[in-house]
Amino acid sequence: MKGQAAQAREDRAFEEEVRGHIVMLEERYRARGMSPAEAATAARRQFGNATVLRERQSAQRGFLSPGEWGRDVRFGMRMLAKRPLSNAAVVVALALGIGMNAAVFTFVNALLLRPPQGVANTGHLVEVWLHDPKGSGVQSYWPFSYPDYAYYRDHARSVEGLMAFDGDGTNAIWNHAGVGQVLQGQLVSGNFFSLAGVSAVAGRMLAASDDQPGSAHPVVVLSSSFWKEKLGGDPAVVGRSLMLDGTAFTVVGVAPARFTGLVVGAQPDFWAPIAVQEKFTHDQGRITDRDSYWLIVAGKMRNAGDRNSVQAEMHVLAKQVYPEHGSKETFHDAIVYPLTLVPGPFRGYVGAFTGLLLVVFALVLLIACTNAAGLLLARATGRAREMATRAALGAGRARLIRQMLVESLLLAGIAGAAGIAVAWVSSRLILGLKPAELPITLEIPLDWRVVLFTVAVSAATGVVFGLAPALRASAAEAAGVLKEETQTAGRKKSRLRSALIVAQMATCVVLLAGAALCVRSLLNANAIAPGFDTQHIALASLDPGSLGYSQEQVDDFYARLLDRVHSLPGVRSASYAGFLPLGTAREETSIARTLGKHPDAIVDVFRVTPGFFATMGIPLLRGRDLARNEVESKTPDAVVINEVLARRLWPGEDALGKRVVLGDDKTMSEVVGVVGNGRYHTLGEGPVAVVFRGQLPPARTLVTRGAGDSRALVAGIQHQVPLVDPLMAATQVQTIEQYMALPLFPARATGWLLGVSGILAVVMTGTGLFGVIACVVSQRTHEIGVRMALGARPSDVMNLVMGQGLWLTGIGLAIGLCAAFASARLLAPLLYGIDPNDPATMIAVAVGLGAIALSACYLPARKAMGVDPSVALRYE
Amino acid sequence: MAADKKSEVLQGTLDLMVLKTLYAMGSQHGFGIARRIEQVSDGVLDLNEGTVYTALLRLQQQGWIASKWGTSENNRRARFYSITRQGAKQLERETENWERVAGVIDRVLRLERQG
Repeated sequence: MKGQAAQAREDRAFEEEVRGHIVMLEERYRARGMSPAEAATAARRQFGNATVLRERQSAQRGFLSPGEWGRDVRFGMRMLAKRPLSNAAVVVALALGIGMNAAVFTFVNALLLRPPQGVANTGHLVEVWLHDPKGSGVQSYWPFSYPDYAYYRDHARSVEGLMAFDGDGTNAIWNHAGVGQVLQGQLVSGNFFSLAGVSAVAGRMLAASDDQPGSAHPVVVLSSSFWKEKLGGDPAVVGRSLMLDGTAFTVVGVAPARFTGLVVGAQPDFWAPIAVQEKFTHDQGRITDRDSYWLIVAGKMRNAGDRNSVQAEMHVLAKQVYPEHGSKETFHDAIVYPLTLVPGPFRGYVGAFTGLLLVVFALVLLIACTNAAGLLLARATGRAREMATRAALGAGRARLIRQMLVESLLLAGIAGAAGIAVAWVSSRLILGLKPAELPITLEIPLDWRVVLFTVAVSAATGVVFGLAPALRASAAEAAGVLKEETQTAGRKKSRLRSALIVAQMATCVVLLAGAALCVRSLLNANAIAPGFDTQHIALASLDPGSLGYSQEQVDDFYARLLDRVHSLPGVRSASYAGFLPLGTAREETSIARTLGKHPDAIVDVFRVTPGFFATMGIPLLRGRDLARNEVESKTPDAVVINEVLARRLWPGEDALGKRVVLGDDKTMSEVVGVVGNGRYHTLGEGPVAVVFRGQLPPARTLVTRGAGDSRALVAGIQHQVPLVDPLMAATQVQTIEQYMALPLFPARATGWLLGVSGILAVVMTGTGLFGVIACVVSQRTHEIGVRMALGARPSDVMNLVMGQGLWLTGIGLAIGLCAAFASARLLAPLLYGIDPNDPATMIAVAVGLGAIALSACYLPARKAMGVDPSVALRYE
Repeated sequence: MAADKKSEVLQGTLDLMVLKTLYAMGSQHGFGIARRIEQVSDGVLDLNEGTVYTALLRLQQQGWIASKWGTSENNRRARFYSITRQGAKQLERETENWERVAGVIDRVLRLERQG
């Protein structure tokens, strides 16, 4: 492509050539005896029309030459500025459409496309997950136990190395000048930073030598934000010592500011070697425990794009690891994924969810496009004269199409720029929907991928809505238009516009039906019974184990805290649980009816203290609650089970008094009570078998039930903890309503986004229909005038206009309903307690849209009724 | 419009004439080409001389002719066009083609006279 300067040079050169030619012709005529004036005229006649030539020459030099485009852009700007209001309306609609697409894409980008920040070897990094071939869905994927990781690390040859890190993170209490602060840490293998390619901004990162068991001098690496915010960016931080959970750690370095780890969901303050794990959790056997799956494993491939050979080797290792260890586990396959912020097994879900949203907002954009196309079409009719004149003056068809396309691309370009702003704002609003408890810090920058996506969408939009009007306008028959033959809009033109209305209406039905279903499902989900009360309860997470307390000290702390909480005003009851249902934590075990026999089922385990069921409002159907001695006994002897498990193990019998063996237990436990079923992992799940037992870990959740507002309880509990033990701090002190925001998040986010899309669709469709009908009326003013002059009553005119609008609406509704029935099934997995083809929703959508269409047609029809025949006929 | 249409009819043959002129006369400017065609056609062709430049641009874009700036016989700056090797080959093909078509037309016209 030639530059604009080169283009101008060409123009000047050609100008000079032409001038020289004409001058030589003049000289020749003068030599034959003509006067200078005669000679000039004759010369010009002989040369022909220099202006047309110049235009044609310029056009031939390059359809895409920038100089020509520049001229078209300037002309287009002038044309757009002529109708600021209607153009602004189109730009706003398009900007919303483009912006919402870009906003969703921002998340796709942040979660699935962007490699983790601050990591050098992104092209080479993979992650490995264990997969239980007998299971299904996300829950069949597991992280690694330390012994399994060690085996893979020592035997894998297709990678430079395998690293591991603590997927859930590790909390630690930092004793900062006598005041306890909770810090978030991540345990990583010694090779973590060298394999990921992260180098220190001060000091050094961890090395393999730091990750030796029994290391006498535990070390940590600090995150840049912790170093700056909590330590004031102390330049002498390297070598300084931090008291974490009662152990002195030496700071060896500071990580770069951009690096926040390899998975979404954590923003550690510090990184410590896996070998010092026991200093933090007092979970003594974790490094040797084969049944504790807690490490996310990642590897650096020798060559980028070598994933298949790594996968092949992992399959082989997966077959060897358990037999060689003599483990009772049968087989877990190892699956390799490229490393992004969302762990491999979950990527499909995130992709499907964001993909669905992209489809939805693409439909919204399509509606905005049809609006814009309708407006440009109407305008093209008005500009038929201009186009015909330009064609008569020698502009080629390609030239006219280009002029029109430049105008629509200008509109789309302005809308795209505004769309970036919309995306910036709305992506932050969407992030705001995320419950604060969801431990995710996600960067959603508008990086080059998002900008590229927006530019591509805008350009495609401009062509989509601009091409049809451009082709139509450029096809204007110069002679016909100039002779003013077409007073009524051409049939072809109105057919295209009718098709647009029908398509728009149909798309709107699909979107609105989807939105209505999701909003209703959201209402249902809010009303769904999780099996416990979602009011009057306050929660607090505590971990005295992190202070290095013995079991007796832990028990003593919890007993004293419970006494204190009980004495708070308004408290009905209080108890502890290891963790609550519908959270992120999970424990599973096998259950058997006979000691030493093959297990009958896999069940979820919740560890609770007496009073838990009453506090949570879980109904005790038969039998009794666990007793204090049963909960605290080292040898478990009593459990409470839920109805699902009771029916599964002893169908038709009473489960009370029956005996079971849990996992590796050497003794049997008696079923002392049966409680009502609930939801334990997600609100949408099917029946889950659950065992409640005692033997709680040091890390617990305090559950308190009050008479009134749970927010009042929260403040009270927060206040009590340091009174019981000044070194302790409670984390995640919250009401049950806040806690429930997490399980409700998927439904809530979908409901919000689809609700927004539905509203946008309705508004755009309504204004689009209104605009087209109004335009048709103004173009048919003459015809309506004639009809009225010939005796048509105002009601006939009304029927004429309304009839046309409603006929199109009807067709659109019918097509849309068919499409909605067909596509609603895609939404089924996200819906709670509502059939995807719920007839009431569909009817309501059709009736509502019909009503909107009616009013959109009514206003222009009113105007048409008021047409004064004498004025209409005089107006030519 | 009428003049426009005439140049359309001439288009294909004008390219051929320009090419042949450059082949015969060597390097030449637009004015010279127009004079040469006028002289050869003996005033039969009513040529809009501007269209010569359209033909020149077209031929140049095909790579059949090349141009450079120089000084004309009466000391005026002018762009001189010359035929390229590719252009000479094209001229050969076009000439053959033209003769074949012209022969056919000639025969057809003669048939009509006999009928």
